[in-house]
Amino acid sequence: MSDIAVDDPKTAERAAELHKEQTDVRRAKVDKMFAFLLIVEWIVCIIAAIVVSPYAWEGKEHVLHMHVWVAILGGAGITILPVMLAFLRPGTTLTRHVIAASQMLMSALLIHLSGGRIETHFHVFGSLAFLAFYLDWQVIITATVVVAADHFLRGIYWPESVYGVSNPEWWRFLEHAGWVAFEDVFLIWSCVFGQREMASAAARQASIEHISEQEQLKTAALEMALAEMGA
Amino acid sequence: MRTRSVIVAASIAVAAAIWVGTVAASYRVIQRFETTPGRAAAAPKSWPAESSLARNHDAPTLVMLVHPQCSCTRASLAELQAVIEKSPRTLRTYVVVYRPRQEKPGWEQTDVYTAATRLRGARVIVDEDGREAKHFGTFTSGQTFLYDAAGTLRFQGGITMLRGHAGLNSGRADVIRIANGESGKGSHPVFGCSIVGRSERR
Repeated sequence: MSDIAVDDPKTAERAAELHKEQTDVRRAKVDKMFAFLLIVEWIVCIIAAIVVSPYAWEGKEHVLHMHVWVAILGGAGITILPVMLAFLRPGTTLTRHVIAASQMLMSALLIHLSGGRIETHFHVFGSLAFLAFYLDWQVIITATVVVAADHFLRGIYWPESVYGVSNPEWWRFLEHAGWVAFEDVFLIWSCVFGQREMASAAARQASIEHISEQEQLKTAALEMALAEMGA
Repeated sequence: MRTRSVIVAASIAVAAAIWVGTVAASYRVIQRFETTPGRAAAAPKSWPAESSLARNHDAPTLVMLVHPQCSCTRASLAELQAVIEKSPRTLRTYVVVYRPRQEKPGWEQTDVYTAATRLRGARVIVDEDGREAKHFGTFTSGQTFLYDAAGTLRFQGGITMLRGHAGLNSGRADVIRIANGESGKGSHPVFGCSIVGRSERR
């Protein structure tokens, strides 16, 4: 740990100000990254639905497959709120929690569109890692709760779609959530550690600013004294 | 400035309502789609004499009727592969692929057809205008029948657990059990596209 102790209250205040400013800038950037990512994922969902299952058939007649409608409308519904918040309320707590929930819902949509392929579940783990860019451990918790709720509710009403068997044990959702929690432990640690690193960097910057200010004052006083001596 | 804030807040509130509504509706629609079975078959209790498929007289014969354009049928074929792997080699398997007469040549040559041709020992038959489907009383893609050596129907239904979802299910287990010589009968809901068009249902 490389914490920098700041004794001067004014410097400590400046360090806190810099830390907040830098964290806000970082989080606003991550918000925009996720807005872009969600739009791309939405497009990918539509393309996947069109390629994998474009039509539902009744003999020689066909209609647009339900997957295509869900990809277009469901994907739009999931994407609209986080994208709006990312541009209208960047850097706020609400924005990043909505983004975390939406990203997990997008995972659920992708898993569904792929017919429950186990490989698509890796999207959940990748998304959690991306969410750690916020350096806010609470965002990881929100995403985990959404995944656990999705598995819990589907496990009750529709277990085949999530577990691959029709009569799983009641605690099976805990096993799935447990693997997510396994990753969470390290992501949460990295968020806390990252925040401390940022705070240290801000304290260093505030100290340098303070020293520089002191030097400038000394130089000015010296120049003034020299000027008086010359006069 | 204040007007802009009100507009932004109202837009976010509308987007939030859409977000919640869409998520709930999507779950409902997907659940309904995946868990609603297709129309069950009205299969003859004995091997249909009018069928052009040759029944195995020494071992069971399995027939699966599929719609080649039905994406959900990929899961049925994945399950059929598991059935073949766990059944005796004497099991005779037919995959009967629906093809409307007026469609262009090659209409039935889809990934479903290709997957069927890759099944070990399976005989893939193109069913012009669904004649065989009618003989077996089939309405839904993925419908599977297992007739024993005596020509008696022992299993009818689907072998997937949901529409488009492969995985352990009682339909597949029943077919494997009966194909391996166990007694009894079995049935299971079938999930897939309709082989019969709306106009032909009446």
